[in-house]
Amino acid sequence: MIKKVKFLPVLLLTGYSLVWCSCTQQRATCLTPTIASLSIEFMHLPIDTSTVFVDTALPAAVLIPVTRRAAVDSFPQQSVLTISLSSDTTFCQWLFKPDTTTKTFDTISFYYQRNLQFLSNACGFAYFYTLDSVHTTHFSYQNYNVVYSIDSAHITNASVTNDVNTTYQLQVYIHPDY
Amino acid sequence: MMSIPRISYKYISILIISLSAMVYAPAVHAQPNTTSVDTTSDVKVKKIDTSGRQLCVGIDLFHPVINHFVGSRSGQEVAVDYYTKNEFYLVMEGGAGSSHVDYSNLQYTTTNSFFRFGFNKSLLTRSGPKDWDIMFFGLRGAGSIINRSAASYTIIDSVWGNYPGTLAQGKPFAAIWAELVAGMRVELAKRFFVGWTVRGKFMMNGKSFSNLSPLYIEGYGEGDKNAVFDFNVYATYSFRWQRKVIGKVADKANTK
Repeated sequence: MIKKVKFLPVLLLTGYSLVWCSCTQQRATCLTPTIASLSIEFMHLPIDTSTVFVDTALPAAVLIPVTRRAAVDSFPQQSVLTISLSSDTTFCQWLFKPDTTTKTFDTISFYYQRNLQFLSNACGFAYFYTLDSVHTTHFSYQNYNVVYSIDSAHITNASVTNDVNTTYQLQVYIHPDY
Repeated sequence: MMSIPRISYKYISILIISLSAMVYAPAVHAQPNTTSVDTTSDVKVKKIDTSGRQLCVGIDLFHPVINHFVGSRSGQEVAVDYYTKNEFYLVMEGGAGSSHVDYSNLQYTTTNSFFRFGFNKSLLTRSGPKDWDIMFFGLRGAGSIINRSAASYTIIDSVWGNYPGTLAQGKPFAAIWAELVAGMRVELAKRFFVGWTVRGKFMMNGKSFSNLSPLYIEGYGEGDKNAVFDFNVYATYSFRWQRKVIGKVADKANTK
């Protein structure tokens, strides 16, 4: 027979320790991004006759979501910017200019499908997206009254998720004259 | 809001290694004493189990206490085990519970009932037929039917604004898991035991309900984890019989 005098304190101590540990734990922390992010790489030709595109380090890019909240995102000098898409529609627009001193905003329009995704109980739900198409305003020599910066845009990866290892989903070609 | 502690794979590894050590420990012997081998008789002496039969019925005291502190969930669990022979116990466990998630971005309720079936193997040598204290390891197969209410969620988005949504009430779905268990049980008073059981649990079909994994499954634990660690404290009452009959058989065997 087990020596009860010896084992009972161990039994009670173990039970008490586990009760204490259990009761001091809080709700699990969400460590996963809950917003799917879309990364845009900006590129340009160094000169008109060049055939190789290089990354465009935009001096102080401005991106503004066309939404009633009218939040303004200004980015320091970099060539890859990250934005988000609207959860409540399948279309959204961002206004863009490569520098704060640029007078005219370009418009980037996103058309996409939404996929509701359960992340975890700590993080809740998020929408992931599949890009259908992207439309932008274009630089044009014919209309010098309105000078846009974007030449064209190209989807490289249509899947927009919360995966932080994805490099970028969209390449935007900036006109050399911006 | 409080919850059962999140246990890493490290602890599960410790449990498995400890169980392995317990399983293999009885198999470790010194050199065999060859002089004691009886070469004149091929008749094997059948070992007579003089301990009789025992049926134990227990209730879990641990989870009701934890659930009381956590507040957002409830559950009860009972365990029945039956002694067969060679220190093996058949075990059936069952229970039911519920949990309510009321986070700022997620709200829903789940209810579930569960059933486990398996065995315990005692690792202690009895000091006599009346010694029913055990230190054991065991295995379980377990299943649960889970019902989920309609769920409300809100996607928090500082740029485009928060986006609320709902999920319709889900169809009942099953969770299946396996358990490695170890523990001990001590007879504190006549036929009244108290003991604890530690459990390493491994979900077998976690992906089948990944569209909204239950925060808590009574009998398993956190539903969005494929491996969890759990603990029970049981208060158990035992029913015993056949002791006299087996005792007579033992006496006859001794007189032959």
